[in-house]
Amino acid sequence: MINSVSSCVGVQSLRGESVQSADNGSATTLNAPVPAALELDCTLADDNDQNTEEGIASSTELTNGRYRTMRARASPIAALGQMSACIVHEINQPVTALLTNTEAALRFLDRPNPDLEESQHALIRVLQLGNRIAEIVRRTHALLQRVSPQKDDFEINQAIREIISLSQEDQIKNDVSVHTRLAQGLPLVRADQIQVQQVILNLITNAVEAMSGLYEGTRELCITTGQTSNGDVLVTVQDSGPGMDPQSSDHLFDAFYSTKPRGLGIGLSICRAIIEAHGGRLWASLSEPHGATFQFTLPQICSDRMPRALQRRSKITEEECAASESAELRSPRRCHVLQRTSSASDQCTQCVRDRASSSSV
Amino acid sequence: MTPVSQLINGLEAKDAMEIVTHDEGKPTVLIVDDDPDIRESLQCLLRTVSLDSRVFVSPSKFTKSDLPSGPTCMVLDVRLPGRSGLDFQRELTAANVNVPIIFITGHADVPMAVQAMKAGAIEFLIKPFRDQDLLDAIQLGLVNDRARCEREGELTRLRERFGKLTSREREVLAHVVNGRLNKQIANDIGISEMTVKIHRGQVVRKMKASSVSQLTRMADRLRDANIFGSPKATDLF
Repeated sequence: MINSVSSCVGVQSLRGESVQSADNGSATTLNAPVPAALELDCTLADDNDQNTEEGIASSTELTNGRYRTMRARASPIAALGQMSACIVHEINQPVTALLTNTEAALRFLDRPNPDLEESQHALIRVLQLGNRIAEIVRRTHALLQRVSPQKDDFEINQAIREIISLSQEDQIKNDVSVHTRLAQGLPLVRADQIQVQQVILNLITNAVEAMSGLYEGTRELCITTGQTSNGDVLVTVQDSGPGMDPQSSDHLFDAFYSTKPRGLGIGLSICRAIIEAHGGRLWASLSEPHGATFQFTLPQICSDRMPRALQRRSKITEEECAASESAELRSPRRCHVLQRTSSASDQCTQCVRDRASSSSV
Repeated sequence: MTPVSQLINGLEAKDAMEIVTHDEGKPTVLIVDDDPDIRESLQCLLRTVSLDSRVFVSPSKFTKSDLPSGPTCMVLDVRLPGRSGLDFQRELTAANVNVPIIFITGHADVPMAVQAMKAGAIEFLIKPFRDQDLLDAIQLGLVNDRARCEREGELTRLRERFGKLTSREREVLAHVVNGRLNKQIANDIGISEMTVKIHRGQVVRKMKASSVSQLTRMADRLRDANIFGSPKATDLF
């Protein structure tokens, strides 16, 4: 089973000191980033780990869903150590199955009348498992690299379909229904396909986990593809889970940040790094009526393939984008919700609307 | 060799025979693990010793009705989606489902292992485990389960027989197992010795005891199960 390696390590980080939890739910300003001296408390715990303590960031709400903030005393070295333990653990499963199959094959062959059929089936599984382990190692390595080693030209829809079918067992097990709206005629994307698929898998796994266990709401996952106004391919992963605490959404992409016991601190920050290395963007927002939406863009292959009219349009929009980007940079804390809409002017309205709606969350 | 005795190595002949001849159902191993590769490999391994198995993706997929009739034991992963294997163990015990459990886990720490063993697990194995270690543990689990089934069956039979005794007969039984002679019993209760003998005969017949010592053991078993509260010898004096 190909697991997202990043979904193993539970890592927490601490941001700032006094956080005000305003009653009107508006985003609050936070203090400076965590000092290097603090230590990260990393736990590889199972789902039922109740080890939530209220640390310094005690005003962050504890919710039942995936985004519970946990206490942290942080040290990146400890985090890497735990991540390594996690990777070993994920490889351990197929290794165990491989060894058990091999032992069984030997037993079948050791009989006075060896059972050749059984041992052959067992050895075929051994081969598959061995290849899978090699693949896990390769993908783990790819995920942890910031530099994109390989560029393929591929269809994003197909890549998404493959990932959906890979993670199907997870979806079924957690009773999550998956819908897709994959736009036709999208341009090809030039990127490291394995890395992009890892990002998609990570987002899907996040979404499924958010809606798993005792979650009582609807369990729906919607994946759509489309294009932004400047021609970038846009992928949206939306779940109907509990959504995230607005105050933690600022930190979702920070390295080593996670609010789950078995969180994705490493995962989301690496996902963003991967997407940005390909010239795209990855961001998160709350969805209506509840849930989280993760979106990323990837530039289409060659802009000189675009008709002139569109090219001109994309230039204008790029300026608008630049303007809106600088607006975002000016007040990053306020606009924790970012929606890519058709024009920059709409964007701020959207922000306001989203901020207002998040206050009712 | 029959399938069950194929599994049994190192047991005394007497024990082996007991299992083979008194077996009411075939032994089954229940496998609860969310990893399909692990499930498949375990089923294959169990086939090498001709053991049947049933697989469950998660504890929630397992209900009491899934318990097979013959000797059973469970191979359970600690780390499961939803609820942990340890929680499941606790729930089974609380629901009085006493199937022996063998834990397998890829990630173990001492407190986890201690908790599992204290809660009555047969074994706690770390992946990857040696096939023989798992098979040995399964064998032990099946033997334990067989013995438990027998004890429970025996208790049920005793209870039925005891239910057929009259209150006077029960009174006589209490005195008999305390070593009182018929004459003494007659004196204690206030009936004739002849009547005591008649009651005693009825007790032995209904309880299907072949000797006083056997009758005493039966009474002890019933007392331990709180079915029979006979006065102890010291109470009489």
